[in-house]
Amino acid sequence: MTPLLEFSHVGFGYGKRTLFSDLDAEVFADDCIALVGPNGVGKTTLLRLGTGTLAPARGDVKLNLRSLCSLKQREIARSIAFVPQNVEVSFPFTVEQFVEQGRTPFLGLFGGLDAEDRAAVERALELTDTTSLRTRVFNQLSGGERQRVKVALGLAQQPQLLLLDEPMQNLDIGRQFEMVDLIRRLRREGIAILASMHDLGMIEGVFSSVWLLTPDEAMRQGTPREILHPQVLEDAFNCPPRHRPRLVEHTRKNMEIAI
Amino acid sequence: MVVEVVAAHKAQGVRRETRQHLLLSALVAALLLAIPVAAGMGAAHLPLRLLAESAGGIRQLTPDEHEILFSIRLPRILAAILVGSGLSVSGLLFQGLFRNPLADPYVIGSSGGALLGASLGVFLLPAVSIAGFGTTALLAFAGAAGAIALVYWLACVDGKTPVVALLLAGFAVSTMLSYSSYFLEVMDNGFGSGMHVLSAWLHGTIVQPGWDQVAIVAAMIAVGYAGSIPLARKLNTLALGEEYAMNLGVSVQRTRIAVILIGSVLTAAAVALGGLISFTGLIVPHILRMILGPDHARLLPATALGGALFLLVADTAARTVIAPAELPVGVLTAFIGGPFFLYLLRKARKEVLL
Repeated sequence: MTPLLEFSHVGFGYGKRTLFSDLDAEVFADDCIALVGPNGVGKTTLLRLGTGTLAPARGDVKLNLRSLCSLKQREIARSIAFVPQNVEVSFPFTVEQFVEQGRTPFLGLFGGLDAEDRAAVERALELTDTTSLRTRVFNQLSGGERQRVKVALGLAQQPQLLLLDEPMQNLDIGRQFEMVDLIRRLRREGIAILASMHDLGMIEGVFSSVWLLTPDEAMRQGTPREILHPQVLEDAFNCPPRHRPRLVEHTRKNMEIAI
Repeated sequence: MVVEVVAAHKAQGVRRETRQHLLLSALVAALLLAIPVAAGMGAAHLPLRLLAESAGGIRQLTPDEHEILFSIRLPRILAAILVGSGLSVSGLLFQGLFRNPLADPYVIGSSGGALLGASLGVFLLPAVSIAGFGTTALLAFAGAAGAIALVYWLACVDGKTPVVALLLAGFAVSTMLSYSSYFLEVMDNGFGSGMHVLSAWLHGTIVQPGWDQVAIVAAMIAVGYAGSIPLARKLNTLALGEEYAMNLGVSVQRTRIAVILIGSVLTAAAVALGGLISFTGLIVPHILRMILGPDHARLLPATALGGALFLLVADTAARTVIAPAELPVGVLTAFIGGPFFLYLLRKARKEVLL
C-alpha cells in the first residue's frame, strides 16, 4: 500500500529557528493520527506543510507519490482538507454559504454549484450534524457549532485526508465528546485524519496512532499507549518532576474516561 | 431521508433564487420606468405621453424637443446610469477586497486617485477629442489603481484591514490627491482650457457628456463588469480569510491584484464622467446585502442595477430641485451618504465587525 501523504526528509524553519531537520512520516488511507507536542514545536507548521501552503526548505512532501510542489493548490484541495484553528468571516455568511466554499476547488471560473456539488454539501452537513444550522449566521455560532461547521467545510471538499488543527480547542467537555464522536464517524467513512491535539486525555480509543514532536529531537511515532506514557510525556513536555504524580494520574484517569 | 432533505433544501434554494430574481426584475422595471420619467424632467418639460407617442410613431418630435432629448437628456441619463453602476460595483469589489463593509471608492481614495489622473489628462490634452478623453480615462485608471494600492499597502495588517487603519489611510491619501487636483484646477483657471471641467469634477457633477464619451465609459464599465463576474465568488472565499482561501486553491495575491485593477477600471470610468461622487459605492451594496445576504456573486448584478437606479434618481433630483440652477449630484449623495456612513461606522464598532 502506498502512503496517502508522505513527508520525506523534510527540513523547515522560520529564520534561524529550525523546526524540522529531517522529518520522515507517512499517513495511510485508514490512519487516524494525533499530533502532539509542547507549544511552539511546530504542530500547525507540520499541518501546513501537509496542505502545500508551506513548502519545505529541504526534502519533499508527497500526495499519492506526487510532490505537493508540482501540484496546484486546487488539485491538492480536492484530496486534502485543512480545518484551521481560528476563522474570522468578514460578512454575515450563513452556515450553508460557508460550507459551500468547500466546493471552490471543483468550480470553474464561471457558473455555480451543480447537483453533485450540492450533494457533497448536504452530505457534509449531515455527517457533522449541522443540517439544522444551515440558515444560521456563521459568526453567531457557539464554539462547538463553529468547530463542526468548519469540519463540514472540509468534508464538502470530499477529501481523502482531513487535517485538523486543534479541533478540541476551546470546547467544553460535552462538545469535546461530540468532536470525538465526529472523528470516529469520519474514520468509519474512510477518511484519513491527522489532528494536532492539545488535550492528551482525548486520544486513547479515538486515534490509531500518535506522532510526538519534541524540540531538537526526531519525531516519535507509536500507538497511543506507547506515546502517552508518563515517562515519555514528562520528557517531551519538560514537566517539572514534582508534578510527576499528577501527570501519571492525569494520563491514567483520562484513559479510563476514553475507554 | 437524504432525498427528502435534498428536496427540502432544493425548495429553499429555489426560494432564495426566486427572491434574487424578483429583486432583479423589480430593479430592471424601476430603471425602465425611471429613464423616460427622468428624460421628461428639466427646464423643458417633455411629458411621458409625448415620449410614448413619439416612440410609437404617432407623433413627431419638434427639432427642439429632439435636440433636448437626444443631445442633452439621454446622454446625461446614460451617464448617470453608468456612473452609478461603476461606483457601486467597484464599491462591492473593494468591500470584498478589504473585507470591510465600509470600503468605498471615495472613502479609500480610489476616486481621488482617478480624479488626479483625469485632471492631469484634461490639463495636458483637450478632453473633447476621443483621443483626449481616452487618455484622460486611462490616466484616471492609473490614478485609481495607484491610490488603492497605496491605501491597501498602508492599511493592511496580516491580510486584514482594521477599520481605523483603513479610514485613516484612505482619508490621508484621498485628501492629498483631491488637493493636488485643486492645485491643477487653480492652474487651469489661470491659464488653461477654461472648460471648468476640473471644478465640476471636484464637486461631483455629471457634466453634460457627448455620445462618444458615454460610449467610451460604457465600454469601460462593460469590461469592468465582465471582469467582476469571476472575481465575485473568489471574494466569497477570501471573506473566510487568507488561510482558507489559499487552502481552497484561490490565489490570494492574484485575486487581490485583479480586484484592484478591475475596481479601478470601474472607478476611473465613473470619475471620468462624474468626478468625486461620494458614498454611492457604500450605500447601494449595503442595502442590497441586507436583502440578499453577503454572497458577492448574487450581489453583483443587483448592485450594478441598483447603483444605476440610485444615481439616476439622485442626478435627476440634483438637476431639477433648485432649477434653473443645478446641484452637483455629489452634494446630494454626500447629504444622504454621510449620515448613512456614520451609522454604519457606529454599527461596525458596536458589533466589533472587524
